[in-house]
Amino acid sequence: MMRKVAEVAGRRLTLTNLEKNLYPSYGFTKAHILEYYRRISPFILPHLKGRALTLKRYPDGVEEEFFFEKRCPSYRPSWVETADIPQHDGERMTVCLINDLNTLTWVGNLASLELHVPLARADSPETPDAVVFDLDPGDQADILDCARVALIIRDLLSGVRLTGYAKTSGQKGLHVYVPLNRKEATFADTKQFSKAVAEVLQRNYPDLVTAKMTKGERKKKIFINWSQNDASKTMICVYSLRAREKPFVSFPLAWKELEDLAGRGDPKKLHVLHSEALRRTERDGDLFREVLVKKQKLPYL
Amino acid sequence: MAGRAIWKGYIHFGGFDVSVKLHPAVKEERIQFHLLHRRDHIKLKQQMVCAYEKVPVPTEEQTRGLELEKGKYLLVDPAELEQVEPEESRIIEVHEFVKTEQIDPVFLDRVYYLEPGVPSKGYNALAGALRDMDVAGICTWTMRKRSYLGALQMSGKILRLNTLRYADEVISVKSLELQEIPLAEKELKIGSDLINQLTAPFQPQKFENEHQKKLQQLIDKKARGEKIAILRPRRLKPTTSDKLLQTLEASLKKVA
Amino acid sequence: MKNRRSARLPAKLSPTRRDESAAQGIWSGTISFSLVAIPVQLVKAVEPGRVPFRMLHSRDYSPLLRRMVCPKEGKIVPPDEIIRGYEIGPDKYILITDEELEAVSPERSRTIEIVEFIDMADVDSIYYDHPYYLVPAKGGEKAYRLLVEVMRRTKKAGLAKFVLGEREYLVAVKSSEGALALITLHYREEILSDEEIVPEEGTIDAEEKSRLKKIIEGMTADFNPDKYADERRNKMTKLLRKIAKKRAPVEAPEVEEAEGEGPVDLIAALEESMRKVKKNR
Repeated sequence: MMRKVAEVAGRRLTLTNLEKNLYPSYGFTKAHILEYYRRISPFILPHLKGRALTLKRYPDGVEEEFFFEKRCPSYRPSWVETADIPQHDGERMTVCLINDLNTLTWVGNLASLELHVPLARADSPETPDAVVFDLDPGDQADILDCARVALIIRDLLSGVRLTGYAKTSGQKGLHVYVPLNRKEATFADTKQFSKAVAEVLQRNYPDLVTAKMTKGERKKKIFINWSQNDASKTMICVYSLRAREKPFVSFPLAWKELEDLAGRGDPKKLHVLHSEALRRTERDGDLFREVLVKKQKLPYL
Repeated sequence: MAGRAIWKGYIHFGGFDVSVKLHPAVKEERIQFHLLHRRDHIKLKQQMVCAYEKVPVPTEEQTRGLELEKGKYLLVDPAELEQVEPEESRIIEVHEFVKTEQIDPVFLDRVYYLEPGVPSKGYNALAGALRDMDVAGICTWTMRKRSYLGALQMSGKILRLNTLRYADEVISVKSLELQEIPLAEKELKIGSDLINQLTAPFQPQKFENEHQKKLQQLIDKKARGEKIAILRPRRLKPTTSDKLLQTLEASLKKVA
Repeated sequence: MKNRRSARLPAKLSPTRRDESAAQGIWSGTISFSLVAIPVQLVKAVEPGRVPFRMLHSRDYSPLLRRMVCPKEGKIVPPDEIIRGYEIGPDKYILITDEELEAVSPERSRTIEIVEFIDMADVDSIYYDHPYYLVPAKGGEKAYRLLVEVMRRTKKAGLAKFVLGEREYLVAVKSSEGALALITLHYREEILSDEEIVPEEGTIDAEEKSRLKKIIEGMTADFNPDKYADERRNKMTKLLRKIAKKRAPVEAPEVEEAEGEGPVDLIAALEESMRKVKKNR
């Protein structure tokens, strides 16, 4: 087994199984994964910072079993920052916070290919920073239909003076984030708002959109999963890898780009690989930055 | 003239009974508007709609429940509640008398005139006694399956019955959480002088419902097809605490 | 089910007014006397005590709300699609918008101008209609407290007129336990005459009156409203508690309930935005 002791930002970290191919059909080893996260770190870290991490670990690669880990492993290095989050039963759980490159590397080394975080930060777990519209295509619908819906959402929101930002889920769907960044925001409000939007869309585009979770309702439609707006739910972090056949990335798309791609009708163009993600961020910077800083207020609530 | 008699009863206390008839004492006049659908001017109806699906629900699909907590309801059959309905009775029972001025207007709800019933024995004596002593009788009675609390008093030439609100229906001033702000004696003195300068006898006939007239004029104007000028309401600048004293002094100068 | 009373100060129809009527109050504006202006909010002073029954949909027990419905389409009409009409003939209406309504008495819809003060003792209680409280808005706290205190000292109340929605109210503003209470008054013309039912001027039996006075004296006490409770409501509540012990409650479907105007306004705004989106696509 290839083991390497690295010095990352002044901290010593043992990296293991670097040569293990975790994406067998594509060919992407642990070393590649760590390299990706190292290079994307300036862009991904601000979106991970201070958030309770849920690890999704594929120790034997994307074709084998995976497991979620919410609790921060007890064998973590001393320098990994954590937070204590209150649970439903009153107990508190210690979670990992990826606040720096070392921790990101350590997490990557655990083969946590996917990084999932809540909409709120750990120090204020009931205050969502954004509303999310999680667009999930049902059977026989695809990411192009999601794109159509995302564009309608953009227009709908602009009519109530809100700006949203889109990203790919890295799998079949799209996410639209509406930044709030206000301490008065509550999940009750964001859930109510997203549900209202979902229902208005369902009413107006009944053949394209559904707000109902039941499988039967979702065939050939895009399901707007408004219930994701909850303190207990997590979303894939922007720039995170996905454990698919290929190392696709949850990547932000400018609205103009989404319009072009949806117009051209080629769903493949909406899937961003690791290499493209790196190239584009190094050229254009963090397209999702506004989600962290823009302050908006939900109307009529 | 007073509205038609809506109920008959007996005022009862200390072995004393007076029969009376209740008449409404107030009738509100207002221009009635209908609510219409903007696009096709169809008159709208108020209906019960499902909070979930937002569609109207026909009466046969409606049922009543007691809200125990949000989302949880106890279904009750109206027949089960029959036993708590107060018994039909014609008695207006007076429990005590209080000085009329002690009744804070916040407790007053509806008001009725009491016409002497048949026989009218005792009415005038009671009216005279209440007037002389300036007291009101606190009473309870049941009318159309509802229990009422009220105040019986004399005014002008006729006995009146006011329904009163229950203590737990009046919102306490404490709950408003008003701030205690110290005031200078000078400000209070000038303020009091100002009020006294602006005091006039209460002459309610002075006040007409001008708005009704103007509203009628607006309607007539629109009927003739005239254009309506939209005037934006002016908002007065608030008097800040540092300017309060000088504003009071300027006001006093103006009216004195 | 019509309100037992003719409409209290009504909620405004159009959602665009929302930022003008404060989130928590019924109305916000200014109260003035002479040159002094105090920013205030109008809030409820009474809350009818009721047993919390709700009408439910018998199919799935979702709670029901009262809403304006278009009988032609059988659908709820959101506030921004509703307009007032004055009927001048069968199916013939003069339409009046919120702006036009406010333009009728523009000053009075934002300001309660006290034009004179009166002695509270002079006011016949028959004039009192409905009570409210005024609470000071930011910046008005000191002037508010001054008005409360001087009215208390002088035992006077202020008379004013103000407009809300379709109606103009004559109001008395008085000091009440450290706050400003605003009581709407009936107009003189709304007080019905008692002429026809007033008793005849008969001779009163002096003995009878004096006997009565003795009884009354014996029954006189201080006014203490806490002594009296709504018996029917209490009995109902006791009975319902008993029933609740023996019977399982039903549950409404797991959804966010639309309370008050909030979500319906949101949905109206979204639908409006949606209309524009569809037009442009």
